[in-house]
Formats: sequence, C-alpha cells, structure tokens
Amino acid sequence: MKTTKELLIVYSSMPKVFLKESVNVMLTPQFYTLKKETLPVKYAYQAKKIAPSLFDGLLEERESYEYMVFKEKDQWVFLAYNLRYIENFLSSKGIERSMVSKIFFAQQVVDKFLAPLALGEKEALVVLDDSVVVVPRAALGEEESPTLKFDKTFSPQKGVSLQGELGSFLTKKQAYAFMGVFLLFAVLFVAEGLRYNGVKSADEKLQALYEAHPALQSSYTREEVLNKYRNIDTQERKKREGVKKLSNLIFKGVTLTHLTLTENTYKANFTSVSADVSKKLEALAKKESLKVSKVKKSHDLIIEGAI
Amino acid sequence: MSWKQYQNEIIVLAALFLLLFSYMYKHNEVTSRSEHVKTVQNSIEELEEVVALKKIWADKKISKKIESLQTLVPSNKVKWQKKSKKLTVNYTDLDANELNKLTTKILNLPVSITLFEVKKSGSNYNVELKCKW
Repeated sequence: MKTTKELLIVYSSMPKVFLKESVNVMLTPQFYTLKKETLPVKYAYQAKKIAPSLFDGLLEERESYEYMVFKEKDQWVFLAYNLRYIENFLSSKGIERSMVSKIFFAQQVVDKFLAPLALGEKEALVVLDDSVVVVPRAALGEEESPTLKFDKTFSPQKGVSLQGELGSFLTKKQAYAFMGVFLLFAVLFVAEGLRYNGVKSADEKLQALYEAHPALQSSYTREEVLNKYRNIDTQERKKREGVKKLSNLIFKGVTLTHLTLTENTYKANFTSVSADVSKKLEALAKKESLKVSKVKKSHDLIIEGAI
Repeated sequence: MSWKQYQNEIIVLAALFLLLFSYMYKHNEVTSRSEHVKTVQNSIEELEEVVALKKIWADKKISKKIESLQTLVPSNKVKWQKKSKKLTVNYTDLDANELNKLTTKILNLPVSITLFEVKKSGSNYNVELKCKW
C-alpha cells in the first residue's frame, strides 16, 4: 500500500520543524542499533523472539527497547530502538506524538540510498557494507557529493506506530487479550440467545391442541367455556360433598328422616335414640362446620349447610 | 488529543460494547422467550382444563348413563319423567340398601342436581330427584 503522507528524515542535528499535518518519519542510524545475523529460522516472529539476547551488552540496561526484524537477502536484520527516547527527541524538534503517523528506519530502504544523502551541513547518510550509516560530509570524496533527493517514495511498507504504543494505558498484547475474551463471551451470548429463540416444544404442543380442538383457539371462547364448566364443576362438587358430610353423620342410634338438597343448601333431619347420641351427633356436625338446630321436645336435630 | 493514541483502549471498548450488546440480546431473548413460554403454558393449561371439564360435564353419553337410574330399582317403585335434557324421577318404598345404591349412583353421575329429596316413610324411603345436563 502506497503511503500518501509526507516522509521526514530525522537526524540528531536537524533543525526544529513546524508541522501543519501529520507525517511519517524515517530515523537515521543515530536512533537505532543495527545487527545482522544468519539464523536457522523461517519466520520473522521466531527471529524477533531471540532479538533481546542478540543485543546483550550492546544496549543500555536501564532503558526499554523495542525490536524490528526483517529479512535482507540471506540475513536477518535486527533493529533495536528506544521509543521513549525517539519520542522525546521528536518532541524537542517540534514534532509531537500526535503528528507522527508511522516511524520507519533508514535501514529498511537500504537499496534506495544509491548516493549519499545530506543531513544538514556537516553529515551525510551513506551505505557502507549494505548498512546505512551517518558519516561526516568531510569524509566524502569529491565525486560522492550528497545529491540524493529524499521524498515519500522512500517509505517502506512496514512501520512502527508511535501513537498506539505510547500514551496508551494498555499494550497491544493486553488489548488483543481483552478483545479475545470479550469477543468469546459475545459469541457465547449470541449463541445462547439464538438457542432460546429456537425452543419450540411448548408451541408445538399448543398447536397440536389447537388442531384437536379448533373451536377453542380463541382465548375469549376458551375463557367463556372454562368459566361455564368451572362453575358447574365447583357447584356440583360442593353439593356432593354436602351429601357426603350428612351421610357421615349417620351412626348407630341415629336415623335420617328427611334430606333435602337444592341449588344453594342442603338440610337433613336426624332422629337420635337418646340425648347422649344427639349430643354426639351435634358435636360431629359442628366439627364439619354445619349449622345445627334442635327440634323442641325431642332428640331430633336439623343439620344444614350452604353450597 | 489523537484517537490513535488510545487505539488499544478503543479496540477493547469496541469489544466490550459488542459483549454488552450480545448480552442484552441474549437477555432479551431469554426474557421474551420465557414470557412467551409462560403464555403458551397458560394457554395449554387452560385448554387442557376446558377439555377435561367438557369431558365430564358435556359428556354426550350422559343421556344413556342416566337410564341406569331407571333400572337400578324395581320399575314399580320408579316414576320416570325425562324431557330433553331434564329429568324428574320419584322413587317410592326404597329400603336402606336401595337408597344407598341410588344415592351413590346419583352422586357419581355428571349431572347438575337441582333437587334431591329423601323422606323416611315408615321403615322405607321416598326419593325425589330433579336434575339436568
């Protein structure tokens, strides 16, 4: 992908700049440490894993370094850089972090430095033994005048994002880890939601009942029919319970002489052989919550209940 | 401030929003589904109750079953009057056993009893039954 942003070469003696829009920057070797190795690894991520050990003793231990690894012919090229230092330097030259889109390294485009590139009055960028280096301009021969024109065509494809790495509360690794966990749960929730959407057993049972009883599909009809039969059921059960209650009161010495069951009440006359039996009957009737009244000058009882 | 400066946080936030939306989706599905299931269950219960009640109280064979009240006791003791879906029947001179059998039968029939009267006459009983279905 071709970049459309301007490319700015950054070197230690550069003057202060004033930017109106964000730019890509290319760092000279003054801002990174270069090492080339022939390693038996196939992929850049494998090479990157061993990058810190390659620079043992070459870098300041107190500082934190990042690494860029790429292949150049048969060799792996390792670049170690300190983002904090680079950011501070850029800031001192008027280039704020927000104005830097991508950071490139001169070594990435070693093939493009076909001639020396002037870095101010005193220095120049040249290629020596396939490595881009900064040399004093005085060291250049007469036929090696710094004539190279530097522009955005020097932009390589792969760069480092300064904005994403510094000022961020989370590292890219942490961000991807969180994102992974969140997305996993999101997928699980969606899957569960879809599963609930698919539960149909109750619907199928209802449908089968509707097919068997098409007249009861309307809830109004259903309610009407239900109320009608519920009332009948309740009333008739109460009537039968009433008769059952009265029949439970018949025991030795008690005779039923009259029983009436109507829509609203049930009533019975009982004759007892003695006052004791009559008392026992009365107690039993009251236990069943029935209304008891005595017939004068006899042991007879009238027992009644409401439906 | 550039948004790019916080692109990692933005990625996490976007994923978090996605998580929240998917949770809300799941929650809505579960809620609406359980409400729907509840409604359907109610309808099923209602329907089953209607069917069960109709089976008892709107039994088409009840007219036939009623006839057994006529044959349960000797015919000379029965005065039978059946009109459409209404029955008036008088029993006379029933002994205690016949009364018990008759009462049990009447109470087990799915009919609406409008009057059930038992009168003791000497050692026997007279019964009047009015019912409809």
